[in-house]
Amino acid sequence: MTYRQQQRIKRICWVISLSIVAIPFVFPFLWMVSSGFKSANEIFGQPSLLPDVWRWRNFVEVFEYQPFARQYFNSIYIALVVTGLTLIVSSLAGYALARIRFAGSVLLVVFLLSALMVPEEVTIIPNFFLIRWLGLTDTHVPLILLPVFGPQGVVATFLMRQYFMALPKDLEDAGELDGLSRIGIWWRIALPLSRPALAAVAIITFLHSWNLFLEPLVFLSSLEKFTLPLALGNFTDPYGMPLWHLQLAATSLAVVPVIIVYVIAQRQIVESFAMTGVKG
Amino acid sequence: MAGLTLNNVTKKFGAVSVIKGVDLEVNDGDFVVFVGPSGCGKSTLLRVISGLEDVSGGEIRIGDRLVNDVQAARRGVAMVFQSYALYPHLTVEQNMGFGLKVRKVKPADIKTRVREAAATLKLEDFLERYPRELSGGQRQRVAIGRAIVSDPAIFLFDEPLSNLDAELRVHMRAEIAALHQRLGNTMIYVTHDQIEAMTLADRIVILRDGQIEQVGSPRELYSHPKNVFVAQFIGSPKMNVVEAASLSAVSEIGGDLAGVVSVGMRPEHLTVTQPTDGLFRGRVSLSEYTGAGSLLHVEVPGSGTFLVLQNGPEAAETGAEIGLSIEPENVHRFDANGLRIPSSNSLKGET
Repeated sequence: MTYRQQQRIKRICWVISLSIVAIPFVFPFLWMVSSGFKSANEIFGQPSLLPDVWRWRNFVEVFEYQPFARQYFNSIYIALVVTGLTLIVSSLAGYALARIRFAGSVLLVVFLLSALMVPEEVTIIPNFFLIRWLGLTDTHVPLILLPVFGPQGVVATFLMRQYFMALPKDLEDAGELDGLSRIGIWWRIALPLSRPALAAVAIITFLHSWNLFLEPLVFLSSLEKFTLPLALGNFTDPYGMPLWHLQLAATSLAVVPVIIVYVIAQRQIVESFAMTGVKG
Repeated sequence: MAGLTLNNVTKKFGAVSVIKGVDLEVNDGDFVVFVGPSGCGKSTLLRVISGLEDVSGGEIRIGDRLVNDVQAARRGVAMVFQSYALYPHLTVEQNMGFGLKVRKVKPADIKTRVREAAATLKLEDFLERYPRELSGGQRQRVAIGRAIVSDPAIFLFDEPLSNLDAELRVHMRAEIAALHQRLGNTMIYVTHDQIEAMTLADRIVILRDGQIEQVGSPRELYSHPKNVFVAQFIGSPKMNVVEAASLSAVSEIGGDLAGVVSVGMRPEHLTVTQPTDGLFRGRVSLSEYTGAGSLLHVEVPGSGTFLVLQNGPEAAETGAEIGLSIEPENVHRFDANGLRIPSSNSLKGET
């Protein structure tokens, strides 16, 4: 057997092994999408990967059953605003903590990180009282502010700080000699070079906001202000039993933005990794 | 273009004094090289001049202008970094024009100046490329181009050739020398490589522990080192310095030996003789063939190891007994403080 044939067999073995490992991850996803096209009876009938009759109507009923379009929009705009604000706040705070020498900066980082040790479930009640005192219940404001300035924002800030610390200081010195201010260096040098970190923060933040369940459950009460995680649990019959065909169709729809974010951010990460530092 | 004046410049990091009262006058158009061992403060001094570090005390003047409190971008200096510090997300053209763009120079002017600098440095074919697509030498040329484009009064080079391989370093050294001749700007160059310092500089500033040991032309420093440190720092291989008392034949060197505590002899000034003919004799403990000659490590009883450069293809073999000789005018004499003692018969023109 030649070396080339050995490599080919090795490669085939790898593909088969990885395909087997992938089944537990991919199958539930395919099952969800496929069941979104089935009737409720078919879902609980003879199991089949593909529907006998493709019920496209499920996807129309999802929008008729409750203000799903509005709820979908709520989730998208909240996740985008949270992601955008988190990127701005965490990159500014991360840069300051990484590069500006001030008394107590390390202590501040330790203090911020120690806040991560407190579970969100513990702080939800005091947060609720605070938000109610501010008159912001049943609005989207807490769903935006809490992730940006809460534990999720701290994680993002820490990630950005670590990345900025690894950027070559010479580049910033060159920027200073070129006439950039501190904010100019952040905007025109540090940020463009931090695309992998920004992409990672964007993915984590978007997904966190997209999947947020406890806070919307506590702070929201109007159906048209619901976000998707709340709305998905709302496809029930008058007796409170889940309408599986609608729930699975809606869940399939809910996955679309996540996939788009992954595709965009992943490309950013790969492209940015191609850039090297100052020498090589 | 402008000269540079440092008056009692100090720099402290917390309680640690890194630059301890440096006085220096650099004439307009001079090529001055700061050289010294690691940690001597040469890069810090360059950064203080550039404005990237605040000065703790003293005065820095560029031309007639006091620049202590002037921010880096407004001092009229441009710096070439050891790491090149090219912006990886910008093309060569954008890198070179970045400073002008920040200063809101018209795009047409930026283009003209970048093209001119690129032509000077033979970078025209690389303007659309990113730094990662260039070799080390090309990147360094872009870094120099970026400095040229900003048309500074003073160029600052912080060990710019350290990351290049030996062959490219020699080539780029010649390019920098040619650039200085062509532009005529004041250039201040930091290096720990004394060959670079000797070949490039009009004047060399030797630093140790944040202080200037000696300032002078390469020839001056080589021939008239002020003290043992400078004598051993300049020249490769370094000067042999031994206690005068340990050398039985020291009296035969001649001249006034009053107060002489140690004597220095450069390896290239020592000649190999028959064991019985030399001023002193020793045994070759190691013979390193270097092509044009050999570097001998000679054990001289009571005085330690002498380095001797023996020219030509024939070299004394390891273990051989040899004699060493030197012309009296090539012997450097130092006192108890390591300071040079001028001698009537040591060097021509010495005062």
